[in-house]
Amino acid sequence: MELNEIIKPENLAYDKPRLMNDNPMHYCPGCSHGVIHKLIAEVVDEMGLEDKTIGVSPVGCAVFAYNYIDVDWIEAAHGRAPAVATAIKRLNPDKMVFTYQGDGDLAAIGTAETIHAANRGENIVIVFVNNAIYGMTGGQMAPTTLEGMPTATCPYGRDIALNGYPLKIGNLLAQLEGTCLVTRQSVHTAAAVRKAKKMLRKAFENAMAGKGTSVVEFVSTCSSGWKMTPEKANTWMVDNMFPFYPLGDLKNVE
Amino acid sequence: MAEEIKLMKGNEAIAHAAIRYGVDGYFGYPITPQSEILETLMVEKPWESTGMVVLQAESEVAAINMVYGGAGTGKRVMTSSSSPGISLKQEGVSYLAGADLPCLIVNVMRGGPGLGTIQPSQADYFQTVKGGGHGDYRLITLAPSSVQEMADFVGLGFDLAFKYNNPAIILADGIIGQMMEKVVLPSQRPRKTEAEIIADSPWATYGKKERKRNVITSLELDPESMEQNNIRFQEKYRRIEENEVRYEEFECEDAEYLLVAFGSSARICQKVVENARAEGIKLGLLRPITLWPFPTKAIQDFANRVKGILSVELNAGQMVEDIRLAVNGKIKVEHFGRLGGIVFTPDEILEALKEKII
Repeated sequence: MELNEIIKPENLAYDKPRLMNDNPMHYCPGCSHGVIHKLIAEVVDEMGLEDKTIGVSPVGCAVFAYNYIDVDWIEAAHGRAPAVATAIKRLNPDKMVFTYQGDGDLAAIGTAETIHAANRGENIVIVFVNNAIYGMTGGQMAPTTLEGMPTATCPYGRDIALNGYPLKIGNLLAQLEGTCLVTRQSVHTAAAVRKAKKMLRKAFENAMAGKGTSVVEFVSTCSSGWKMTPEKANTWMVDNMFPFYPLGDLKNVE
Repeated sequence: MAEEIKLMKGNEAIAHAAIRYGVDGYFGYPITPQSEILETLMVEKPWESTGMVVLQAESEVAAINMVYGGAGTGKRVMTSSSSPGISLKQEGVSYLAGADLPCLIVNVMRGGPGLGTIQPSQADYFQTVKGGGHGDYRLITLAPSSVQEMADFVGLGFDLAFKYNNPAIILADGIIGQMMEKVVLPSQRPRKTEAEIIADSPWATYGKKERKRNVITSLELDPESMEQNNIRFQEKYRRIEENEVRYEEFECEDAEYLLVAFGSSARICQKVVENARAEGIKLGLLRPITLWPFPTKAIQDFANRVKGILSVELNAGQMVEDIRLAVNGKIKVEHFGRLGGIVFTPDEILEALKEKII
C-alpha cells in the first residue's frame, strides 16, 4: 500500500485543532505552553464558543498567546489580566472570558488582581501555568520557585530566609468563596493531557453557567529556564514539583 | 429621563451625566475629594435602569485595567480618581493610549506631592498633558470650570475619545468636584447595542464572528513596526491639535493685559478681571478648555495684542511653560500660584499682576 492511499479523512487519527493557526511558535522545545494552548483551542472549538470567546494574555512567555489561538484577545499589563477579564465579562456576560497567566504574572505582581477577581467570583477561567520560574526574562526566581532551586536571581538556590516560601497560590484561591473549581493538572504524559483537558472543559462550562471563578493550574516544565533537556525537565518536575504541588482537585463544587 | 435642572456637586454631576450619556461601565476606587462619583452611581443603581455596570475595584490599578478590558470590547467605559490614585493608574493609561483605546478618565485634583492633602490643586497639569505614563502619548484633556461643564464634558470626552480612538481625561480639581451649582442634566440616551459597537468599533474584541480575530495590544517587538505605530499616534495627535482646540475669552476685545487660567482658577480670575477694570486696568482672561490640545495659536495672537500675560494656576508654574512656548519671548509671561491646597483670592492675583506684569 502506498502512503498516499492511507492519507484520507476516514483514516485521520489525530489533527491540529481548527483554532490553532499556522504561526510558528516561539516556545522552547519541551515547553508545556504549546500543549496547554492546544487544549484551550480544542475546548473552545468543541464547546462551539469561537464566536463568544475573548482571551486575556499576560506578560511573560505567553504574552504572544494571541498569535496562536485563533480567537479574539486582549493583551494585559503584567499581572492585571484578572482585572481586565473582570470588566470584559461584566460588560459582556454572555461571552466566554479566560485569562492565561504564568506564575510571576499571577502569583507575584498580580496577586491582588487574582485574589480579588476570584473572591468576587467573576465568571471567568484563569489558566495558570506554574513552571516555578520567569521564562521570558531569562530564568529568574518566581514566587513558586522551590526551596533550594537555583535561578538567575537565586543562583545558589532559593533561600527561605532571604526569599520566603514558595507560594501555593492554588491552595489560597481554593479557600475563597468565589471559586467553584481550583484544580492542579499537568501535561507531561498522554494520560495527564487527557485528564487536564477534562478539567479545562469543566472550567469553561462553569464560566458559561455562571458558577464563579475556575482556576486550572498546570504544573509545567521550563527546560530552558531550568537548564535541562526536555526529557530531564519532565522527570525533574515529577520528582520535585509534584511532591510540593500535588496534582488533583483542590476544590470542585458541583 | 428628560432634561432636568438640578442643584448638585460637580462629582455628582459626573455620575448623573455618565448614566444619562449611556455609559456602559464605571470602575473606581474611593479617594477624597471625588468619592461622590462612585457613591452617587451606587445610590442610583443604573444597572437596573440602563444596564450600566458599576464596580468598586480593589485598587486604582485594577480599576484602570478594568477600563482597558472594557474599552477593548468597544464599550463606553470610565474611571475616576484623585491625584495619588491617578498616579497609580498611569501604567494602564499608557497601555490604553498604546492600544488606541477610547475611554474617559476623571481626575479631581488634590494637593501633592505624595499623599499630600485633600484640598484642591492644579499640580497634575504636567502629568496630564506631558505624558504621565511611559512613552510618547497624549491624552485629550478637558478642564471644566463649572458643575455644568463637569456634566457636559462626560459626553464631550466620550465623543472625542471615540472620534480618535484615544483616552480622554477630565482634569478637574477639588473645588469643582465639591462645589454645588445649578446644572442642566441631559435627557437619557440609550447605551450602544452590540450591532452598533460592531459597526462603530470594528477593531473591538466581542468574539470572532466571520472575520479574522481581533487583538488589542500595545506590544510590537519589531522596532520598524513600533516606529510606524508611533508615527501613526503622532499623526493622530496632529489631527487632534488641528481640530479640537477649545478655549473661552472673557473681556479680551480691548485687553492690554491677559490672564490665562483653567478650571477653578479661571472662575476666580473672572472676578479679578472685573476688579481690575473697575480700577481702569484693561485686563482680559483666556480660559483654555482643552489643556491638550493647548490653545497655542490663540495665545500667539494675543502676544501681538497685549503687553503681558500672567498665568494663574494652583501650582508652582506648569501651564506657564506652554504659554511661554507659544509666546516665544515676544512679551513678558509670568506665573502666579498658591501651592499645596491653598486657593488664591482675587486681590492676591491682582496684586501679582501689578507686581509682575504691569
